[in-house]
Amino acid sequence: MTDKKSGSGLDAVDEGPISSDSSSADHGGDEADASEHASVAALKQRFADAVVRHRVYAGGQHVVWIDPEKSHEILSWLQADPDHHYDMMSDVTAVDYGNGRPVNVVYQMFSTVHKRELRLRCELPLDALEIDSIVDLWKVADWLEREVFDLFGVTFKGHPDLRRILMPQDYAEGHPLRKDFPLRGRFSRAEQTRRALAQDVERFYRAEDLSAGHIPQEVAPVEVGTLAQGEREGNS
Amino acid sequence: MGLKHILPGGGTSATTGGIFGAGSPTFLTSKVDWIVNWGRRNSLWPMPFGTACCAIEMMASAASNFDLARFGMERMSFSPRQADVLICAGRVPYKLAPVLRRVWDQMPQPKWCISMGACASSGGVFDVYSMVQGIDTIVPVDVYIPGCPPRPEGLIYGLMMIQEKIRQETLTRHFEHRAEDPTRVAKPQVGDLEVAELSGPFGNSTQQDQLSSGEVVREGSTSDDLLP
Amino acid sequence: MAQKTIELEVARGREMGVDGNPSLSPIAPFDIAEPDMNTEHMLINIGPQHPATHGVLRLVCELDGETVKSVVPDIGYLHSSFEKLGEYRSWNQIVTLTDRMDYLAPLIYNCAYVMSVEKLMGIEVTERCKVVRVILMEMDRIFGHLLWLGTTAIDVGAFTPFLYSFQERERIYKLHESLTGARITTSATRVGGMMADLPEGWTEALGEFLDTFPDTLAEVHHLLTRNQIHIGRTQGIGAINGADAINYGFTGPNLRAAGVDYDVRRDRPYYDYETYDFEIPVGEHGDCYDRYLCRMEEMQQSVGILRQALERLPDGPINVEDPNISLPSKTDAMSDMESMIHHFKLITDGIPAPEGDCYFAIEGSKGELGMYLVAEEGDTKPVRWRVRPPSFVNLSVIAKLAEGHLVSDLIMINASLDIVLGEIDR
Repeated sequence: MTDKKSGSGLDAVDEGPISSDSSSADHGGDEADASEHASVAALKQRFADAVVRHRVYAGGQHVVWIDPEKSHEILSWLQADPDHHYDMMSDVTAVDYGNGRPVNVVYQMFSTVHKRELRLRCELPLDALEIDSIVDLWKVADWLEREVFDLFGVTFKGHPDLRRILMPQDYAEGHPLRKDFPLRGRFSRAEQTRRALAQDVERFYRAEDLSAGHIPQEVAPVEVGTLAQGEREGNS
Repeated sequence: MGLKHILPGGGTSATTGGIFGAGSPTFLTSKVDWIVNWGRRNSLWPMPFGTACCAIEMMASAASNFDLARFGMERMSFSPRQADVLICAGRVPYKLAPVLRRVWDQMPQPKWCISMGACASSGGVFDVYSMVQGIDTIVPVDVYIPGCPPRPEGLIYGLMMIQEKIRQETLTRHFEHRAEDPTRVAKPQVGDLEVAELSGPFGNSTQQDQLSSGEVVREGSTSDDLLP
Repeated sequence: MAQKTIELEVARGREMGVDGNPSLSPIAPFDIAEPDMNTEHMLINIGPQHPATHGVLRLVCELDGETVKSVVPDIGYLHSSFEKLGEYRSWNQIVTLTDRMDYLAPLIYNCAYVMSVEKLMGIEVTERCKVVRVILMEMDRIFGHLLWLGTTAIDVGAFTPFLYSFQERERIYKLHESLTGARITTSATRVGGMMADLPEGWTEALGEFLDTFPDTLAEVHHLLTRNQIHIGRTQGIGAINGADAINYGFTGPNLRAAGVDYDVRRDRPYYDYETYDFEIPVGEHGDCYDRYLCRMEEMQQSVGILRQALERLPDGPINVEDPNISLPSKTDAMSDMESMIHHFKLITDGIPAPEGDCYFAIEGSKGELGMYLVAEEGDTKPVRWRVRPPSFVNLSVIAKLAEGHLVSDLIMINASLDIVLGEIDR
């Protein structure tokens, strides 16, 4: 019942965030039964060497750890294959356990066709925090991956515009959501205030930045009335 | 000669000269004060610098149930150049701090500042790396309104306190009322030591100065720079 | 639930002139060739302090005259690091953080968070608690949509709906206050149940609200739905098709306006939503006008769900009767030794979690609100608490939606996305 990592009583609540010891690296339990989830079964069959482990948590949530080298291949297969067709990428995020354990990048997907959800995780060692970007598959990953980069320091190879999104562009204290980043920041409050006020509020957006990534072309003004009606696809 | 000798402060120094002779109120000045202050306090145009939940309560104060219009404040001025009182409603992260300072600097005198809510007054729940621990480290604040969020009645009480403050102003002391050093534009409002004092952890129970490994980063609040 | 098609006789098409006849371009004469001007694109910055950005959002626009060539939203001006704060707080302490994220519909966040924790821990709440949470979530859906309605109407230029919607919101504020003591930052839920049961007369007060609210909604419909100015400002603006909408991550009324029939309440149901009789409005064109119609109809449907929930509200305990999860009542804790020990352990230690992670999504007022929690065996606070904020992904699409439109259309598109910066920046 008591917290094994820290003291008990008020100390347990007073202490900082949980940082795990490596005995939990196995993520609890044995390999789960894949037959309950069609996509997991197909995944294990087709990419058997890329699947590291598979667990079922919280009453039926299937989580599969995959090799980060193969992540793009597996994800594009899951999106394209009509038996699985994960058209909706609900979330891309990361988990830092601290204490030298690898950072897990988490992909949460849902198929509106088959009404199935699946969670994939990739373990990235702390000295090689990079993984392929999936912006070419799901446009929603654009900002989600930028946020993971900003807060965790994971580099997404192939991302068109990987820069900080929530913190200021020139934020020098590090990546905030890592476990070794103190809650109140690395600089003193006075230094943070000084740096904040030294920012030029107009900085970081010049005309060249805005056209970056866009193919230069004349954008015609939209004529109301000639737009095509929204199509319904894939849900029948 | 010109008019300098009859202007407040005589155009030369804060202590001599002029009809409004600094320091000592006269019958004439008190009547003029009364009218000027009456005009100012009953037609305050707020500059709503609303960021988060307190902004919603500020909007609710302006809506029909609580109605700021009866105080002459329904004209929410979104241009700082035409505003009197800056109502900073909501939490202000460091990324937003220069914007707040800039907006404050753009407001012409006479101007007042209300810090609405716990987050604007002291950082509130958010004693974290990204949050300004009280906007008084950035702009000079006249009235602090506690609450998370304060009820519209609380905001109105704070506005009435500003009105009371204005009521007690006098043109003979205008240098003190409007004291702001133009060389300090866009600089932090207070010095390093005061920032550390104002931002120090205030008896909260979560150990926030420790790294996850248990190593203490800083003990208590100091003004030491932790830059490598 | 039934699929109902609402036929609206509203002309769709070219812009209507003041006299009711279609005009090609109300601004510039169309029979004169456009002169060749040697111009550069203009860079303007909207925000972060701006009334029409609905929060501290900065939009950096590149304009060709008044046409938006590209727009880059710059966020982070309200980053309060909720997720990191959550790592320092025990499961129940995080509830107070959740109201400050989406301050427009706080009860939805409160409920979503504890539902996710309960799913992680395998806790099944009581029947009464389920129905009460459905009531609170639907009430806050109306609450959030009302604010959207008021502020969007102001952006179009209509001030009256703002006052009407805030008057209705005041009535919901009173309900919030009588239940939790606070108007906005409610913190009404706890793991395993609620902070407190519904007070006397609360359901009657909600019933009174439901009796008169549809009339106000009808008045606003009368003001806006067939208003030529409103139609001219919203039809055809910011359209997106269904497949793109899914790929870009749209959820909620934004997605349904684009023609995709996806609602978390029906497709991944929770708390017996499949047993409630309600319709899900689905649009067709994916433009601002369809989003407006979807949200208006959703408010109407929420009234129906609320009436059904009030009818089926069962008696019984509101909290799970497991002393390791819910606090015992004060009288018990003061009289019975065991209860006192449980109380002490719950407050000082907290509730231990099993190993694992959990992603739980509900249909929030802005879209699919997901809470992702990671815990290890015996933890009393999360290793990672992640909020999948619907407004964050909804806003990222604005660059695509606004290209080619005018600056005032950009403001309209921003308003129609119904964003709340607290949850975008977290």
